[in-house]
Amino acid sequence: MKWITARRRHPLAGYVVVIIALAFFGVGYTFVAPATSPAQAQNASAESDLANVDLANGRELFNQSCASCHGQDGKGITKTEAGNAGAWGPDLTGVGAAAVDFQVSTGRMPSANPDAQMPRKPAMYGRDDINDIAAYVDAQFGGGPGIPVNVPGDKPKRADFESEADYEEATELYQSSLEQYTGGGDTEAGMKLYMTNCAHCHSWSGGGGALTDGRWAPDLNSATPRQIYEAMLTGPGAMPVFQDSNDEVGGEGGAISSSEKQSLIKFIVDLENEPNAGGYFGLNRVGQVAEGFIGWTVGISLIVACAIWITAKQRAHD
Amino acid sequence: MSDNQAPQAPKAMRGVGNFIDDRFHLAKMGEKNLRKVFPNHWSFMLGEIALYSFIILLLSGVFLTLWFNPSMGHIVYDGSYERLRGVGMSEAYASTLHITFDVRGGLLMRQIHHWAALIFVASLVIHMLRVFFTGAFRKPREINWLIGVAIFTLAIVEGLFGYSLPDDLPSGMGLRIFQGVLLALPLIGTYASFYLFGGEFPGEVIIPRLYSLHILVIPAILLALIAAHFMILWHQKHTQYPGTGRTEKKVVGTPMFPAFAIKAGGFFFFTFAVIVGLSAFVQINPIHLFGPFTPTSITAGLQPDWYMGFLEGSLRIFPNWFDITIAGYAIPMGVLIPGLGFMGILFGGLAAWPFVEAWITGDKRPHNLADRPRNAPVRTGLGAAGITFYGLLWLAGSNDILSHTFEISLYTTTWIFRIGIFVGPVIAYIITKRICLGMQRRDRETLEHGYESGTIAQLPGGEFVEVHKESSPETVHVLESKESMTPRIETPAANANGVESPASRSLMGKLRARLADWYTRDNISFVGVEPHSGHHLHHGSHNGDGPTHGVQGSENGHGGSTASDKVTQGAGQNK
Amino acid sequence: MTDNNTDNGNGNGSEEPRERVIGTPTGGGDALVAGKEEPHRKHEGPYLAEETHARPEETQIRGEKIAAVWFLIAFLAGVGFFVSYFSFAPNAANEPVIADPATAQLANALMGGTLALSLFAIGAGMTVWARQILPHYEVASPYDELPSPPKEKSSFSEFFMRSANESGFTKRPLMRRTLLLAMAPLGLAPIVLLRDTGPAPRDTLKSTLWEDGLHIVVEGTGRRIKAEDLSETGGMISALPEAHDGDHGLSLDDQAKTVILLIKMDPDDFGPQMNQQRLDWTHEGIIAYSKICTHVGCPAALYERTTHRILCPCHQSTFDASNGAEVVFGPAHRPLPQLPLRVDNEGYLVAAGDFSSPVGPTFWDAEVKN
Repeated sequence: MKWITARRRHPLAGYVVVIIALAFFGVGYTFVAPATSPAQAQNASAESDLANVDLANGRELFNQSCASCHGQDGKGITKTEAGNAGAWGPDLTGVGAAAVDFQVSTGRMPSANPDAQMPRKPAMYGRDDINDIAAYVDAQFGGGPGIPVNVPGDKPKRADFESEADYEEATELYQSSLEQYTGGGDTEAGMKLYMTNCAHCHSWSGGGGALTDGRWAPDLNSATPRQIYEAMLTGPGAMPVFQDSNDEVGGEGGAISSSEKQSLIKFIVDLENEPNAGGYFGLNRVGQVAEGFIGWTVGISLIVACAIWITAKQRAHD
Repeated sequence: MSDNQAPQAPKAMRGVGNFIDDRFHLAKMGEKNLRKVFPNHWSFMLGEIALYSFIILLLSGVFLTLWFNPSMGHIVYDGSYERLRGVGMSEAYASTLHITFDVRGGLLMRQIHHWAALIFVASLVIHMLRVFFTGAFRKPREINWLIGVAIFTLAIVEGLFGYSLPDDLPSGMGLRIFQGVLLALPLIGTYASFYLFGGEFPGEVIIPRLYSLHILVIPAILLALIAAHFMILWHQKHTQYPGTGRTEKKVVGTPMFPAFAIKAGGFFFFTFAVIVGLSAFVQINPIHLFGPFTPTSITAGLQPDWYMGFLEGSLRIFPNWFDITIAGYAIPMGVLIPGLGFMGILFGGLAAWPFVEAWITGDKRPHNLADRPRNAPVRTGLGAAGITFYGLLWLAGSNDILSHTFEISLYTTTWIFRIGIFVGPVIAYIITKRICLGMQRRDRETLEHGYESGTIAQLPGGEFVEVHKESSPETVHVLESKESMTPRIETPAANANGVESPASRSLMGKLRARLADWYTRDNISFVGVEPHSGHHLHHGSHNGDGPTHGVQGSENGHGGSTASDKVTQGAGQNK
Repeated sequence: MTDNNTDNGNGNGSEEPRERVIGTPTGGGDALVAGKEEPHRKHEGPYLAEETHARPEETQIRGEKIAAVWFLIAFLAGVGFFVSYFSFAPNAANEPVIADPATAQLANALMGGTLALSLFAIGAGMTVWARQILPHYEVASPYDELPSPPKEKSSFSEFFMRSANESGFTKRPLMRRTLLLAMAPLGLAPIVLLRDTGPAPRDTLKSTLWEDGLHIVVEGTGRRIKAEDLSETGGMISALPEAHDGDHGLSLDDQAKTVILLIKMDPDDFGPQMNQQRLDWTHEGIIAYSKICTHVGCPAALYERTTHRILCPCHQSTFDASNGAEVVFGPAHRPLPQLPLRVDNEGYLVAAGDFSSPVGPTFWDAEVKN
């Protein structure tokens, strides 16, 4: 403290404080900005078989966690009906299993606040439970798009495995299915489809962006391929629907066919996985705003600091 | 160091020197210029950042031209960068990928070029702010100020064109917006756009055309302007801050040779180092990630480089309420005013200010001493208001990013900025002016009473006072320099005979009188203030100052300690 | 380039007699640098002793060492730059190794890092040099007197006017005027020569390729689209007209004008601006708008299925897709043009004509019917 006290009236003291503050913000920003999205959380039983669903368990879970807002009959509860309870929710008739899987596996449902857009959260239920709820909703309230099981969706989590070896095996299995899924596809079509139908909300980097009235398009980089697929199928929130072919599963039709969706997802995954060739600080791929900010805070202040060093008065000769 | 003989110049140098002098008769002029004096202050180096980053831009730009192919010819990429193989794109974009992934150091050079551009314009801004706030634009330097404004304008245009060359997604969108603003011009808009783009947007010629402007025409003009700027600076000599020995007639500082050349050289390397350091570790404009331009694609968070941000922001927040249609012909004010009008206000205002200020104050004297910003409170306040206005527009240009990052509703951010650009500058003006006036009062206190030493002394009567010491001669000089710099223009009411002068009767004369009054009215008068005479001075000029003298009660204490402190006055310098 | 209207521009202000040894053709050995005579100085520096604050010898010795260390660092970093450059040579097959983004990142950091360090160290060394070895100078030098003395001014003005008169420029109006006349066409020539930089706009901006019966295809895949492909409410897709020439596709110019946003919504959501004509242009709730914003031309594509807003990400103009794309927020003035739709007998979506109004940024005669 004494050291500081002695120098606080130094002619350079003010500049030093300013520089430290600028550097603090600059460095702070670069470290804070690339904070990653919430960890993925899902049950690990890889591509679990939808044939084994337990409808009774699904009903139980639905009544427990969903019915308070969506109603026992799945017809939804309007805001006026809910009154002060604030527990309202949309009609689930015909939404289908994919919508349930998307909402629950991304942790958006169950939600405590139906008035606001739900951010991504760790999922509340495991894979088997989600399958059960999805199957129950699908069977009970009328079908919609089913869960695209051939799209890799559940990244294994260590906690769900007895031994390290099992975990590694499951991880390897997941990786190989991911690589297989994103291995093929048409780069040009995937890019075009992404750029013309997705990038305007989710941004070129998949980082998301602002919508109207406080809504936002979420970050795609924390989503699994299956969740991306399901989002396109079902159009959660304000997002439009990009439907598959109506004729047959995997058919060449619809707004974006399933193989075209594969190309599109490949584009997203490849872009996300690519290291930032330009430098270790990718500025969270925000782009020009972050670049301008760094140019001013780090660039200009470092150069000005050098200028101050060069021209600083030296006490001995004053 | 110790022998008194100037060393003999090496033979080779004598040979070269004589060879040149035999042809140009340069010895006298050479010596005179090597003896040129540069005042020593970090804020005088800001313009050099711009000069050096411009040099870096030229060097890195030449490197990039060796591979860049400014063609909009359509090809399917089959180069080294795997992720985009099979994608259709322009040759300009493909050659930029080539520079990035096939040429060693190409990516580094691209990033150096882009970072240097950001730093170039940023340093122009801070340099201009320094010149503005210290009044260094005043006579005789108005022309150099105008050249500076022209450089600033051209730098922005140059940046926009350069940004557009690689033909990646954001760059094409920048052009699209530019074309949209062109189209909005009444009558000539469609023609201007068709001639510039060789037809409809995007056409096939705009990148080659921008390329020749970007690498040839504009840099040549910039270079000429920078040379003129520098020659005028050289001829008129640099302004300096007030201080001992530094007067309107005499500049004091570091001579070009040997000292300033070495300092400036070192500073060039520092500037270069910071730019290269950023380019090495911080990714900028990753066009390979953006993907090629198509006029049908768009990305969220689309932004121009920072220096275009204020235009982007003004386009975003300006409403469509003033769009008019005359006999079926549309005049989209919502594009014209923010797209061209705000730019006109900014650059027109900057260019006109030296003349406006001289007209208001009636000050036609040449100035070589820089104003301390506090001593021109209205100008400083206006500058702060301008910064606020510009800054808010700039922020508004990233309102989607702000909305997303800080979770504010998008339309709310728009409204915040719509209101903010009116309220913000006014508040900034008032606050800044108040701060300046406060500092003026403190300056007068210091001049009259010395500075607070931090030492607490107990008087014989038991009272504790803080010992005030006399300021150093340097400080006194700086403080006393105030009056001569800001002439207080009295409102010319009537001459000695009670007759109004004809000039003050006209409308403009009245306006000018009012402006002059507004410009100088609140300045704190230093008239009659004698250094370190605080206990003698309870003069009348205190009266107009408002409630500033909370310390008056202890003035006896000051006086006493000043008197008793005479011995230490030499040592207690507060520089 | 320099000030030559004063004769006391030199820094030291001493009126030393300047004997010009140099400049003479025979310029011998003792020229230029060495030829100074400074008789009244005891001090050996180039500037006056009181303007030169030399550093103590020990400071200079220390400074020399520190500067040398910096310069050595700069040298090593410079060598490091070459090492990093050559260690990323193309592989045996002559493919660039930096084509891999991870390698490119490393190469960029190594080359840039060594270069930055080298540059910084040179700067630091020079700063140490300036601050610890060079004296601290406080050299005074006069500013120029402004303006020129009246005598010089009047002399100049007299000279100038005499010369101008003598030239005949003022006295011979015929010659002067014809010369100015001669200049006029030459001055205009560069402007005229620019005429062929592009075609005249005519009405090109007012029409597009769209015509009745032209198939709508999904952008990116080029696949024709059926009404049933957009059967789910809330569906959306970016689409183009089918290219007549399948090989080359549409030119970018045509893409920029014809691109549409196909939206499927509940027909009950249509608002009051949707008059019968506009409703006829839809098909079972499928409606097509130009994707190009009427503000300054960005693709306005953020369709929110819940609010039916179409938001432009550039300047946030917002259009209500359920209500004829009326502007509901932001700077745009005109609604997005609507494209009439119908279904052909095979079930494919086709255009039923051109857009309802000119596409893209509003230009001055955009709303004038021809």
